[in-house]
Amino acid sequence: MTHDRKTRRIRLNLRRRGLLKGAAAGLALTLALGFGAPQARAAEGLLALVHTQAAGDNGPVDSMIARLNELAEETGMTARAIYAQDPATYETIFRTLGDAGATVIVTTFAEVGEPVKALAPLYPETRWIELYADPVEPALPNVATVSYDYHLGCYLAGVFGALISESGTIGYVGGASLPTLNADLNALRAGALSVDPDITVLSAFAGSFQDPAKGQEIATQMYTEGADFIQTDSAATDAGIIAAANEAEGRMVSAISPAQYRLGPSTVATLVSLDFGQSLYNEVSRALDPGWSGGHVSTGLGSGVIDFLASPVFAEEGPEALAAKVRAVWPEVEAIRQKIIDGEIEVPFDTTL
Amino acid sequence: MIDLLIAILRSGTPLVYITLAGVIAQRSGVWHLGLEGIMIIGACATILGIVATGSFALALLIAVLLCVAASVLLWVVIEKLRANPIIAGLGMTGLGLGGTALAVEAIFGSQATVSAPFGVPRIGDSFGRFGVLSIFVVALPVVVALFWVLLRRTRFGLRLAASGEHPFALRSIGGNPSAMRLAALVIGGVLCAIGGAELAGGSLQFFAQGMTAGRGFMAFAAVVFGAAHPVAAPAAALLFAILGTLGIRAQLLFGEKVPHDLLQAVPYLTTVVGVWLSSRLRGGGDGGGYGELRDR
Repeated sequence: MTHDRKTRRIRLNLRRRGLLKGAAAGLALTLALGFGAPQARAAEGLLALVHTQAAGDNGPVDSMIARLNELAEETGMTARAIYAQDPATYETIFRTLGDAGATVIVTTFAEVGEPVKALAPLYPETRWIELYADPVEPALPNVATVSYDYHLGCYLAGVFGALISESGTIGYVGGASLPTLNADLNALRAGALSVDPDITVLSAFAGSFQDPAKGQEIATQMYTEGADFIQTDSAATDAGIIAAANEAEGRMVSAISPAQYRLGPSTVATLVSLDFGQSLYNEVSRALDPGWSGGHVSTGLGSGVIDFLASPVFAEEGPEALAAKVRAVWPEVEAIRQKIIDGEIEVPFDTTL
Repeated sequence: MIDLLIAILRSGTPLVYITLAGVIAQRSGVWHLGLEGIMIIGACATILGIVATGSFALALLIAVLLCVAASVLLWVVIEKLRANPIIAGLGMTGLGLGGTALAVEAIFGSQATVSAPFGVPRIGDSFGRFGVLSIFVVALPVVVALFWVLLRRTRFGLRLAASGEHPFALRSIGGNPSAMRLAALVIGGVLCAIGGAELAGGSLQFFAQGMTAGRGFMAFAAVVFGAAHPVAAPAAALLFAILGTLGIRAQLLFGEKVPHDLLQAVPYLTTVVGVWLSSRLRGGGDGGGYGELRDR
């Protein structure tokens, strides 16, 4: 009996040792893969993108990753896209990339502002680019920030929606009630009311940028309430909104990325296009110039990054009557777009709801 | 009104199937926090299966097999490796969320949304506006009824409850609590596959990473809210769906007068209040243990 117990204990010890050894080997492998590789490759230059929204959105994140890879191929550098889901990991990720000697670190969205501000001075050789961010105060020589006047495109979407809507009701679905998205909604409402003072603008936030099922539910309710045009502003949640539009005729959506045309060839009529990929490409290309220094870049209509576009796919595959109506109202939208660029129309940036 | 009902059924159905998986696990003695992970495996496998095979039945079979495999893995980790069930469940959730993203990346070379040419079969135009609902929605009352019979009117159900509430009693009559937990997790795996398939293929017909968006945890809350009762817990899940749908409607109707954030929080606040109320009504909160959360 005692012998059996001893044997069992020895076996358990061996099993534990095996497990510990396995865990140690796994940790070593992870460290080698996670940290060793970037350091080794950074000799040729490392372009890193740290994105806080998941890839697979058929929009901003996917286009940024694609253009980062393209740039890496052109320059012979290594591209590395890292999804930073948890704010607690931002600093660790940035430090790891900084220690690995990253040439350029691109970050997305406002939430990474503080960690970048704290760490950029510690890694002066690394050039930091914050997409969708306010200017850093005080300015740092190795940090560039880029802001996007997306609300200008939303204003035009409101104008277009009011011109094309037959029901007199249009909608807006945002991912979350953030200041910039609130401004988008207010601009859309202002644009719609500038054309039709009696128009009804329905609005809702999904509470997530990654919940297409919720997006579909919201959009279905909006269409049921009489909306016939919805502007999306919710990343991967958009796909559900387009799916809701596809369920009945006469429903239209304005999305964000050309990749979404194929999700609803007969419903995605327009885009408030924000080409994050192009923006990343522009800013990283500039940052690779030896004479580059940080600062703030503001992009708006006419910059090639933000615009309000009619879908060529909808023009061909959309319902004939609606496609014709889009063509009919488009000159008026173009005229207002030009007035915004010329400064004749000032679009309010109102972040309060 | 019909549209509202359809919206509730659509959003509630995946949640109810996952809740049933949580109920059976809970009754066997496993706090199943891996529901989210196994659900997304079901969602991903269904859509990828349809794309690969062109058959919904084969896709569902693949989803069921993968979800059952994940459930067995969870059982091994909990029962054989003696891991904490809660930590193991959370690990399974991480594995599901990360593994599906990795699978899509490995197969398609990008993490973009994967669309399928068709989804779960719908009941058809002969049912009028309800025709957009999938067969899983229609099957739901039958499944819940069968589930109730299984858990409350069969020897298996009694042994299952014993394995959770009083494993020693089960052992004393020659039963094996560990085997009962395996059976519960396997049945739960099948239900998670159906729930995931309904989420991704019921009306959307595509898979996007992270698309479960916390539904597994909502289902777990429904299990606790409904005290792991085979009818009360699905009813709690349906209540969450109703509140979610009404929350959206409130945003549309009162969004300009009441802050959106507050209206969005209503379903979650109700969940917290409901779980607390459920615990109080059943005499919970005075001590720990699993038993207080089950029906008596």
